[in-house]
Amino acid sequence: MEQPFTLTSKLRGDCLVIATSGYVNNVGGEAIAKEFTRHFEQDIKHIVINLAESKVVNSIGMSFLLEIIEKLQDVDGKLIFTNLDPAVDKMLAIMGLFTFAGKAPNVEEALKSFP
Amino acid sequence: MPASPKTSSKSNLDRLSDHIESLQAGFRKLSRAATLKDLGRQFAGVVGAMFIHKMIDLAYRPADSEKWEDLVEGSAEGLKRLHAHSTRKLAAASEIHGAAGAITVVHRLADKSLIGLVVSGKSKVERYSEVDVLSLRLFVTLFDNAYQDMLYRRSEKGLVFSLNHRILQLNSLIDTGIEVSTLDENASPHRLALVRAASLTNASKGVVRVKRGKELLEEYAFPEGATPAPAHTAGNRIKTSFTFSSDTYTFDLFEKESRSGTLAFEDTDQLLLDALARQVHASLENRYLHQQALEKQRIEQEMTVAATIQKKIIPVSLPVIHGYDVAGRNIPSKSVGGDYYDCIPLPDGRYALVVADVTGKGVPAALLVSSLHAYLSAYLELSNTLAELLGKLNKALCNATTDDKFVTAFIAVLSPETGELEFSSAGHNPGYLLKADGMVEEINIGGPPLGAFDLDFPYLSGRTSIGKGERLLLYTDGVTEAMNEKDELYERKLSLSDFLARNKPDRADTFITDLIADIRKFTGSAPQSDDITVLYLRRKD
Repeated sequence: MEQPFTLTSKLRGDCLVIATSGYVNNVGGEAIAKEFTRHFEQDIKHIVINLAESKVVNSIGMSFLLEIIEKLQDVDGKLIFTNLDPAVDKMLAIMGLFTFAGKAPNVEEALKSFP
Repeated sequence: MPASPKTSSKSNLDRLSDHIESLQAGFRKLSRAATLKDLGRQFAGVVGAMFIHKMIDLAYRPADSEKWEDLVEGSAEGLKRLHAHSTRKLAAASEIHGAAGAITVVHRLADKSLIGLVVSGKSKVERYSEVDVLSLRLFVTLFDNAYQDMLYRRSEKGLVFSLNHRILQLNSLIDTGIEVSTLDENASPHRLALVRAASLTNASKGVVRVKRGKELLEEYAFPEGATPAPAHTAGNRIKTSFTFSSDTYTFDLFEKESRSGTLAFEDTDQLLLDALARQVHASLENRYLHQQALEKQRIEQEMTVAATIQKKIIPVSLPVIHGYDVAGRNIPSKSVGGDYYDCIPLPDGRYALVVADVTGKGVPAALLVSSLHAYLSAYLELSNTLAELLGKLNKALCNATTDDKFVTAFIAVLSPETGELEFSSAGHNPGYLLKADGMVEEINIGGPPLGAFDLDFPYLSGRTSIGKGERLLLYTDGVTEAMNEKDELYERKLSLSDFLARNKPDRADTFITDLIADIRKFTGSAPQSDDITVLYLRRKD
């Protein structure tokens, strides 16, 4: 059963790792964007979003993720999604999020891909 | 119009040329801005590059608002100037006001919103030149173009996003259809469909309920704990339901989300929810039909096994008994049962004629017949009397079967030389003996069915004899209880003993063929409901 949305984050070097749990909808997307912005303003440009515990995403949630991707693009930053459920993976792909964002099987693999 | 009369025309041209170059470079910069704030910041940079050491203030007023939103703050004074700007309609697309030390431009953008620019920082006596004014006019036009470009890009992005979302909805609809139809029996397709429907319609929550009559069998909420609040009414709620096998599945979705609050659901959302619910319905039906097919296949396989077991036990031919003609036949019904017959030669020259009927059908019944056959072969030689034999068989079958399984049997042991018959019935139909005088003697003595009670009930046996020309008929209830289309029993309408008395062919096999033909004639097109088994012994004249 999908739990109400929660989020945790931590800095790994100059990379922000956000782990979510629950439905990435308007509430979830906004929470992710807020957490991103807080660190983006501190010049953090490498972001990992671990969606292992988020099996459901809607288009409002994805619009927040797209915004993050665009902001990072402007500053040559990068976002990598990890631990994607196959259904979520497909959704993000169809919505074009992987055009400018990456994906990795897990957080450690994602961190390796940053310079 | 503020202007500097002392500026030379060459110098003005040079400056204008510089401004145009800077405009071209500026547009490239501005056209990359994704948000109004970004655009404002970039624009202030472009203007600031031309008006060095000057302060730039920039504010924006949406078309439907009277309030200015600050984009760039150069001096508090400049923004104050803009905030004080009249809300009246602009006489022209742009208005430029020059005041001592500052110049203010207010420009109407393509979507009727306003952009306000204040360049300040000159001393109170300094005036801005015509070139400055002209340049600022060009700059705000540049901003307008970039702003329109940003709106187009934003709209284009929205359109692409919306198209992708439609593709996603269609794709998910197909995927969900496949997923719900391939879920294993324990999975819940209605739960998966609810979650997908919520996600694809941007509903913030949903509930699926399964009810049988008024009884709530299951309630699943997404996300966990979601329930409809009283405020959920028509516009912000959609639902659909279907009934399958007396269970009603109702899907409810609430609160369509947007970035700025909740919206009313669209018609396409309802269509999507209906389509997903139909997929669940189809999946449940297919699952049911699949289970039915598997069950049918299992029964058919079981019947094949049972028929094989039974075929191996029922004798292909009976022994030849000098001075007698013996024949037997077993016609299994569609669902293989547990009838059995045999004629077993004993070491002392006697023969045991056996007819038995096991409760139940299929493999369990066939296995019980197999056990009976094995025990009979073993105990016949070890028992002195039929009563002793039946006692032993009862004991063995009680140990080998469950309480609801038992066997009825009729056994007659023939001494061929004398025609003496010892017989005993374990809860079976009576045997009939057609005497030489044409009378039919019913022989029926024994005890309870075998394997039913392990209580050491004594089995009794009787004795009679079969004279020359006389005949013995043993059978199972598939004969007497053969049913016609009116659900009438053969024995009730036509008497088996009468048939025995009336039909005295020379061959035992012919008698059985005639009896079966008589039964078939009686039952007509009604399906055979039970195994038919007959064992017939004729003592030759």
